Amino acid sequence: MKILVSLLQKSNVIRSQRIATLQNSDKPNVFARVEGGNPLPPRFSRKALAIAVLLCGLSAGWLVGADVTVEKTGTGKLGIDLSGLNAAGGNAALFRKVLEGDLNNSGWFTIAEKGRAGILVAGECADSGGDISITYEVKNQAGTKKYLGKTDHEAGANARKLAHKVADDIVFAVKGVKGIASTRIAMVGKIGGRKDVFLCDADGGNVTQITRDRTIICLALTWSPNGDSLLYTSDASRYSDVYMINLNDFKRRRIMKYPGLNIGADVSPDGNRIAVVLSKDGNPGLYVTDINGENPMRLTRMPRAAEANPSWAPDGNQIVFVSNKSGLPQLYTTTASAGGYTRITFRGSENVAPDWGANGKIAYVSKRDGKYHICVYDPAKNEDKQLTSEAADDEDPSWAPDGIHIVFSRTVAYHSDLYVLDTMGGAPLRLTTIQGEWTSPAWSPR
Amino acid sequence: MRKGFKMFSKSKACSKSWFNVLFVFSLCVLVSVGCKSKKPKVDDGSSVTPTEVGGTGQIPEGQRDENGTAITDTKLDNVLFSYDSFQVADTEIAKVQKVAEFMKAKPDVKLTTEGNCDERGSAEYNMSLGEHRALAVRAALVGIGIDASRIQTKSYGREKPVDDRHCEEAWHKNRRVDFALYLDKPQAQ
Repeated sequence: MKILVSLLQKSNVIRSQRIATLQNSDKPNVFARVEGGNPLPPRFSRKALAIAVLLCGLSAGWLVGADVTVEKTGTGKLGIDLSGLNAAGGNAALFRKVLEGDLNNSGWFTIAEKGRAGILVAGECADSGGDISITYEVKNQAGTKKYLGKTDHEAGANARKLAHKVADDIVFAVKGVKGIASTRIAMVGKIGGRKDVFLCDADGGNVTQITRDRTIICLALTWSPNGDSLLYTSDASRYSDVYMINLNDFKRRRIMKYPGLNIGADVSPDGNRIAVVLSKDGNPGLYVTDINGENPMRLTRMPRAAEANPSWAPDGNQIVFVSNKSGLPQLYTTTASAGGYTRITFRGSENVAPDWGANGKIAYVSKRDGKYHICVYDPAKNEDKQLTSEAADDEDPSWAPDGIHIVFSRTVAYHSDLYVLDTMGGAPLRLTTIQGEWTSPAWSPR
Repeated sequence: MRKGFKMFSKSKACSKSWFNVLFVFSLCVLVSVGCKSKKPKVDDGSSVTPTEVGGTGQIPEGQRDENGTAITDTKLDNVLFSYDSFQVADTEIAKVQKVAEFMKAKPDVKLTTEGNCDERGSAEYNMSLGEHRALAVRAALVGIGIDASRIQTKSYGREKPVDDRHCEEAWHKNRRVDFALYLDKPQAQ
């Protein structure tokens, strides 16, 4: 059909850019913003930043013109030294650069100089012209402990994929946790005033356009739990309907086209049901359908209220959603079998866009002091944390499968980009670098 | 003297309010007694029809006029809303009545109420709010006597502002329901 897949970005050219920070002395979360002094679309600012940091020999810091401000980030991050890894020329150089970025952004490591790192990576990466292969070892500084020794290879065009795999293998070998470098992020790109669905790697590279509908409405992206399918809401057929794209064969189905609004589909953790907001029976309300979008059952009945944005709890029993029952939008939970509802947010004039992570925590957006900020609510501990406080409107948080990182959309001066936040600490890093408006991110499962 | 008069009037007001309370209370008692004495008899085997109170009613299936011909030479004034509200304000009712008159005069015309929001708030919530506005206007039209099967709803959320500026004046214009008119779906050839 209309679905075309095109690789928008293959190369990874670093353009020198003026990097400045938005200084705000009374706020701890200082973030870096790439200034738009360059008429060309800024690309790979994170890499530029990472390498600038590396060159300065700082474990973490931001480059501000000639001044250097040291930011307290990543306490407990391990220094990792890649200087023993020979990877020069062509795809091998690309491999190395992507690997460095992945490790830096993993939340566990900081690329460090020789002699200042606790972990050493040594080996050989060769680009044979066809295949790219790597043989490497990961040891502690004293050389007394070997975490990993491995050989891996991929087709040369997949140097990025190989780097993501090696990064995840190193994270797992050293920290014992599964990394997210090989995961992907689905997002909505608004280019030339119209919207479409895009995919990129977890580091923002390899941006791929999935749809070519150029619609006004395109949002509410979500993945099936096995990562095979992408669901979203679009008015490609005039009304807001729910579409499902099979990412293996790129076939698309319109799975919900009930009268009125069809929006915000979220697939249950067992992959069998979909929570969605429909207006076919009156007020926009919360329903559960089967995986084909059929047999809708209404869950909530809130007279004179509109509901939005359902997200399943990892146990598959509860659903968090937005309702304006109280006059302004707030978060509520309901049980997928029995219905009923409980209000869970009371701070902030508006609380919207919940994403219930596999870690049991609900990331959401709260309007506090006139701006929208990313917050995390832990229902098990009844604990609420505000994670961003910049002079920006943050929206649509989506948990990474590691339960540590969150991708969200940040709007500053009416321009939107995606950012990745490490909930263990550190300022959000900008993910999208291609010119356009980037919104509605959804982090893939593993 | 003046002081005395003031006191007198205050006490009078008080006693009046007490009288009101007493009156309302006795009325309640009377009503409840009346209800008790006139309890309707329900026969065994009768059924009830649950109806959502305050709801806007079902949109009939299969009425989406995807292939209808848009009418572009008639422009009907859009209905405006206040922040986060989906109530059709008294000041906007006249516009809805005008649309109803048009619909009554042109029985072959169908209509989509298109709900819109200002740019503030989350994209997904605004889609629901916009739909709620579209449904509220639809309900008002149905209330005036327009056949429900002639009216579809659509939400654009915050995605289709008529005024791109970022100020209260623009937001006021953007919180609206537009009327998209269509001629009935042409017969398949």
